[in-house]
Amino acid sequence: MLPAEPAAKSRTRLVLLAGFGGLLALMAVGGFDAIQVLRQIQTRNVQIRQAFLTRDRALEHIRASLYLSGTVVRDYLLDPEPAGAAEQLRQLQRLKSEMATSMDAYAASLSTGEAEPVHALRTGLAEYWTVLQPVLRWSPQERREHGYDFVQRQLLPRRATVLALADKIAALNEQELNGGDERLEETFGRFRRRLLLMLAATLSCGLLLAAVAASHILRLERQSAARYRQVVHAQSELKDLSARLVQAQEEERRAISRELHDEVGQSLSALLMELGNLAAVAPRDLEPLQRHLESIRKLAESSVQVARNMSLLLRPSMLDDFGLVPALEWQAREISKRSGIAVSVDADELSDDLPDDHNTCVYRVVQEALHNCVRHAQARSVRIGVRQQKGRIVLSIQDDGKGFESLRVRGLGLVGMEERVHHLGGAFEVKSEPGHGTLLTVELPVNHSHESDTHPASR
Amino acid sequence: MNPIRILLADDHTVMRNGLRLLLERQPNLTVVGEASDGREAVRAAEAVSPDVVVMDIAMPNLNGIEAARQITSARPETAIVILSMHSDESYVIRALKAGARAYLLKDSAEGDLIAAIHAITEGKSFFSPAISRILVEDYMRQLEQRHVEDTYELLTAREREILQLLAEGKSNKEAAAMLNLSTYTVETHRTHILQKLNLHNVPELILYAVRKGIIA
Repeated sequence: MLPAEPAAKSRTRLVLLAGFGGLLALMAVGGFDAIQVLRQIQTRNVQIRQAFLTRDRALEHIRASLYLSGTVVRDYLLDPEPAGAAEQLRQLQRLKSEMATSMDAYAASLSTGEAEPVHALRTGLAEYWTVLQPVLRWSPQERREHGYDFVQRQLLPRRATVLALADKIAALNEQELNGGDERLEETFGRFRRRLLLMLAATLSCGLLLAAVAASHILRLERQSAARYRQVVHAQSELKDLSARLVQAQEEERRAISRELHDEVGQSLSALLMELGNLAAVAPRDLEPLQRHLESIRKLAESSVQVARNMSLLLRPSMLDDFGLVPALEWQAREISKRSGIAVSVDADELSDDLPDDHNTCVYRVVQEALHNCVRHAQARSVRIGVRQQKGRIVLSIQDDGKGFESLRVRGLGLVGMEERVHHLGGAFEVKSEPGHGTLLTVELPVNHSHESDTHPASR
Repeated sequence: MNPIRILLADDHTVMRNGLRLLLERQPNLTVVGEASDGREAVRAAEAVSPDVVVMDIAMPNLNGIEAARQITSARPETAIVILSMHSDESYVIRALKAGARAYLLKDSAEGDLIAAIHAITEGKSFFSPAISRILVEDYMRQLEQRHVEDTYELLTAREREILQLLAEGKSNKEAAAMLNLSTYTVETHRTHILQKLNLHNVPELILYAVRKGIIA
């Protein structure tokens, strides 16, 4: 599978960003709108109540003034005391202007249905004052004669008419208030519906987004799982391949080593033998011939030496002829001879039929470790221990070299050893610290059938 | 004096032919048979009763060490010379344990083979100078590197004498006769020697003697 393209990745990011951004914006707009509407409703409510109160108060004022004016006029007509008349007239004048003011105030906040009754009230009031106008100029004589009659027949009925008009308007005002409440209720209902709609939209948007995101995540999860499986598969294939390579290399080494030793070496030895025979039959006094024979002999001898060394270096014959321990001991002697490091091998008697792979693995690990000791560790002595315990072989290699930071550094050699060991299902451990030498431990499980073959008595 | 009867065992025909040529030139040696693998060598040893078997190690079917073991167990009087390409001590000690008393490298001088055959028919051991040198060098290096006490110093003069005789291939009885001692005394000395040197058997003792340069 190809890796996800960058374009696809950024598109996904854009979609998610847009989705979540849109959702947040929707919620913000909805919330803002709701607050606005609520504030409007509240304002409207206050306005309605205030208007009602204002008009109610104005109307009350008019009614109260009307009553008072009636009383003042009656007093004026029925009390002929001239001293009070002027005062009463002044009072009436004030009441009239007050009523006019209240009337104007009321008219200022007029609602549609009230125009006619308010006009009627205004007319009624005007007529009331018009009727009163001549009476106010009456002499005390006239007031005494016609006063009572006027009060009974003109003033009281007129006042009652106007009061009835005011009552009607008050009812209308009440109606207006109720109407306002109803409108408010309606507005509120509309707002509730809108809010519900908004909520539903937000919710479905969120659900959609969650579904998209979830499916996307699931897809990613599936993809990564598939990729993980691929990686694991590739890794195991790679390990298999490297193990096969190592095995093939080992086979090749074994074959070449044998060929060098048994064929090349033996042929050269036979050649030497024949040279000896030739020298024996060649005339002793033919000095140049003897000299050439000698130089051929030297060449052949050094060739045998080279073939033997190469063969041993490729794969020591003891490993196949006698098993692991003699091969390790040879390796130890070789390293001692070449480098001066004291190498000791402390080994149990190992069963003869350890699998070839195990012998080779242990041998190569030791070889690599000794190689490291010579090249890097500056060790003076190395101890190699091999133990065979129930079902496993335990190898330890301890040197007194300069060590290294085993937790950080891991060279190619160590990796190769570890791979060999892991391929046989074994455990590989390196303990080292700068200045404290290195301890390398390997545990290889041995197939049970091999062990039970060699220790039948222990069962 | 009867010539020494020799059986050649090597899977390389050229080698066998060369050896036969070399040995037959000697007045008192005669090649009485040839074998091209270990199994054949064991059969031939039965058939021709040689005094000496000159044997390679790397042979098909049965290797030279196993063949030597079978031949010496069947006919202890047969002396075996190993003639091999292998120079490592693991081969030498195994050959000795299998009953061989001489170990030669194939690329050693022809004279060594003649000398070895004569030595072992006299009951002595013989090693290629190259082998002796390798063994001695390894031993010296080990002493030096591990600062191990030289165990040879622990031996008494009499024990050293007996060590040499035994390493040369003498039996307890022969050694006793040469030193005017009882066989029992020699046996006691031998036990002490093996203990002091941390050895387990005569082949190891021979190898030790070679390493120390006590015998060649």
